[in-house]
Amino acid sequence: MASPPIEGTYFDGLSARPHPVILTLEDRLEIAGRDLHLAWTLSDLVAGDTVRPLMRVGPAGSAARVEFTDEGLAAALEARCPDLHRTDPAGSGGRLRLVLWSVAAGISVLLLAIYGVPAIAVRLAPLIPASIESRLGGAVDGQIGRILGDPPACDDAPARAILDRLIDRMTANASLPVDLSIGVRRHAIANALTLPGGRVVVLSDLIEKSATPDEFAGVMAHEFGHVAAHDPMRALLAASGSSFLLSLVLGDLTGSTIIIAVGQAAISAGYSREAENAADSYSVEIMRRSGGDATALATILERIAKDDEHGAFASLLRSHPFTAERANRIRAMAGTDTIGRRILDDADWTTLRGICRNVPGKATKT
Amino acid sequence: MTQPLADHARTGTERVGAITFDRRLSGLSGIAIRGFLLSLVTFGIYRFWYVTELRRYFWSRTIVDGSPGEYTGRGKELFLGFLVAIAILIPIYVAIFIATISVPWLAPFGSILSFLILFVLGQFAIYRGRRYRASRTLWRGIRLGQDGSAITYAAMAIGWSLLTLATLGLAFPFMRASLERYRIDHTLIGSSRMASSARGRSLLLPWLMFYVVVLLPIAAAFIAFLVASDFTIPDDLFVPKEGGKPGETQFNSDYNGTPIATFGAILMGTLGFTLPLGLLLIPFYRARETRIFVNAASLGPVRLSSTLKARQFYWPYIVYLLSIIGFVLLLGLVIGGGALLLHAGGTQSGAHWAIVLGMIVGYLGGALFFAVLYVRVITARLWAAVATTTTIENAGGLDAVLASSRRVGSGLNEGLADALDVGGALEVGF
Repeated sequence: MASPPIEGTYFDGLSARPHPVILTLEDRLEIAGRDLHLAWTLSDLVAGDTVRPLMRVGPAGSAARVEFTDEGLAAALEARCPDLHRTDPAGSGGRLRLVLWSVAAGISVLLLAIYGVPAIAVRLAPLIPASIESRLGGAVDGQIGRILGDPPACDDAPARAILDRLIDRMTANASLPVDLSIGVRRHAIANALTLPGGRVVVLSDLIEKSATPDEFAGVMAHEFGHVAAHDPMRALLAASGSSFLLSLVLGDLTGSTIIIAVGQAAISAGYSREAENAADSYSVEIMRRSGGDATALATILERIAKDDEHGAFASLLRSHPFTAERANRIRAMAGTDTIGRRILDDADWTTLRGICRNVPGKATKT
Repeated sequence: MTQPLADHARTGTERVGAITFDRRLSGLSGIAIRGFLLSLVTFGIYRFWYVTELRRYFWSRTIVDGSPGEYTGRGKELFLGFLVAIAILIPIYVAIFIATISVPWLAPFGSILSFLILFVLGQFAIYRGRRYRASRTLWRGIRLGQDGSAITYAAMAIGWSLLTLATLGLAFPFMRASLERYRIDHTLIGSSRMASSARGRSLLLPWLMFYVVVLLPIAAAFIAFLVASDFTIPDDLFVPKEGGKPGETQFNSDYNGTPIATFGAILMGTLGFTLPLGLLLIPFYRARETRIFVNAASLGPVRLSSTLKARQFYWPYIVYLLSIIGFVLLLGLVIGGGALLLHAGGTQSGAHWAIVLGMIVGYLGGALFFAVLYVRVITARLWAAVATTTTIENAGGLDAVLASSRRVGSGLNEGLADALDVGGALEVGF
C-alpha cells in the first residue's frame, strides 16, 4: 500500500536549516534527500497541531520532523497510524476528569469558606488585642459612614448626657471586654450597628421609631450582647477570611472582593441565629437588672418586622432571622414582671429623642 | 496560507520570508465557547487549560517562513505555577495586612505599600511569564528561550517608572524602548540571540501626540482660566449645596456671567473633550510602537520589517464596540418587548419573573457572546495584523540557527503572572 512520493521538508531538530526531501509511505515512512535517508516506524509517529493541508510529523520524543502539504499522504498516514494525534493534551477524557476535579475542588473551597472559616473566626476573635480591634473598628466606622452617605452625627448636649447616663447604668457590672463608644447618626433607617472595638452606631430613626425608652434601651442592650460575645470581630474575620479564600479560587487577588465583603458583612451584621439569640438573652438580663421593661425589645422587633412586610422600610434588622420566633423567645425569658417598667422618665426620654436637634435639616434617605 | 512551504528555489540569504496567519479562524469559536463555559463551572480553574488551547491555536496558525509555530505548554504547568505563586503571595498579603494594622503610622500608606510591592512583583512575573512562553515555543523543531534576570527587569521597570513620574511622562517612550531592548536582547532562538535596536527617540513623536491632543489644550484652557481669574481662584467659587449632603458643593451663582465662569466652563469642556480623544489615541500609539519595535528586532543578519498601519489596530476595536452597542440595544428590546407582552396578558408576577429570567439569560449569553467576540475580533485580528505585516529580511540566515541544549524553564515561571493578573494569554507582538 505505497502512496506516490511526495515533496516535503525535513528538519533534523538540531538546526533550522530546511532539507528538501521526498517522502514515501511504505511499511515505514521513507525520507530521502541529499546525503539523507531515513525510515521512521509508523507506530512511533506523532503529528503536530497544524492547519491542513500542512502537516508535520515526527517520531515521538524526537525533535526531528518533516513538514508536507499533501492531503493524500496525510490521510494515508492517519489510516496507518491510529495513534497519530495521541499527545493532544486537551483530549476529551482528560478534560472531563479535569472538570470534575476542578468542580470538586471549587466546592470544597466553597464549603470551607462557608463553614470552616466562621468556625475558625469564633475561636480567633477573642484573641485579637483590644488596640487592634479598636483600630479596625475605626476603619469600618469610616466605611459604614461612606456607605450610608456620611450621615451627620447627632450630639445635642443634654440628650447626650442622658444617653451616657443610661448606658453607664446598663453596663455597670456587665464586664464588657472593651470600653463602649456610642455614636448617634441622623439617618432614616431604624437600626443600630455594632462594630469591632465596642463601637455602636445608632441610626436616629431607631430612636424615632421607639415608642418607649425601654424599646430603644432593649435594642442597645442587644448590641451590647454582640460586644460581649466579640460578634463583630468574628463576623469581620469570617467575612474577610471567606472572601479571601474565594478570591483565591476565582483568581482575583487584588483584594477588591475582600474590601467589599468586609463592608457588606459589617453593615448587614450577618451573625448566626445562635449569636442573635445570645444577644437577645443578654438584652433581657441587662434590661431586667437596670430596671427596664425586658419585653420591649420584642415589641420593637415586631413593629419593625411588620413595617418590613410593606416592603417600604429598608431596615437592616431584616437580616436578623425569624422575628416572630425571636419575639416569643424574648417574652418567654423576660416573663411578665417587668412589663410596664420605664428605664427613663418621660422628661428624660423627650430630651433624648431630640438628640438630633444639633443637626439642621431633614434626615437623608439613602 | 499563501506560501505554506519555504520556497526552496530561492535559498540565498537575501531571500525575504513572510509571516502568515490563517484568518479563517475555524474552530476558534468552539475553543472560546468551551473555555468560557468550563471556566464558569470550574470556578475559573479551567482558564489555564483554556489559555493553553488558545496559544496552541494561535501558534500553530502562525506560519513563519513556511513553517508553523508550535506551542508545547500544558495547562497543568500553568496551574501548578499558579498554586506555587499563591503560596508565595499569601504570606506577603498577610504581612502587609498585619503591618498596616499593627503599625499605626503605616496605615495611611498601606495601599501605596501594597501597590509598590505588587508592581515590582508584577514586573518580575511578566518577565518570568515571557520566559515560560518562549521555552514552550518551537519552530522547525528549534526551541526558543529567554535568559536574563527577572529581578533586573523589575528593577529597571520601577526605576524607569519613577523617572517617568518625575518627568511628567516624557521618559515613558524611553522606558518602553529600554525594557523592549532588555526583553529582545535576552530572547534566544535555539542558541542564536536576538537583538533589538529600539530607541526611545523614535517613539517620542507618537508619544508626544498625547501631549499635543490632551495636555496642551488643557494647559492652555487652564492658563486662560488663571488669567481670567487674575491668578487667584476665589475661595467661595464653590459653596455648599443647599439641602445637599455634607461635602457636596455647587457653583456659586454670584460668579454667573463673569469671565471666571466662562473660562471655567471652557476648561471643563476641554477636559471632557480631550480626555476621550486621548483614549482614542492609544491604539495609534500601540501600533506605532509595535511597528518600531518589530523593525528594531534582528537575529544576526536576519532582520524583521513591519508595515503595520494604525487603522489595523483601530478596526477590531470599532467592530467590537459596535457589537456591544448592538447587543445591548437588542437585549433591551427583547426584554422590554417580552415584559410588555406579558404585562398586557395581565400576569404581573409572570412579567416580573420573565424579566428576571431574561436578564439572567441575557447576562450569561452576553458574557459568552463577548468572550467569543473578544477572542475572534480583538485578539485574533490584532495578532493577525502584527503577524501578516511583518516580513523577514535575509531569511536565509535563519538556516544557520542551531538548537540549544539549555535547560527548559518550568511552568512555575508563569504562575505568578496569573496570580497577579498581569500579562495576557497572548501578547501581541511577542
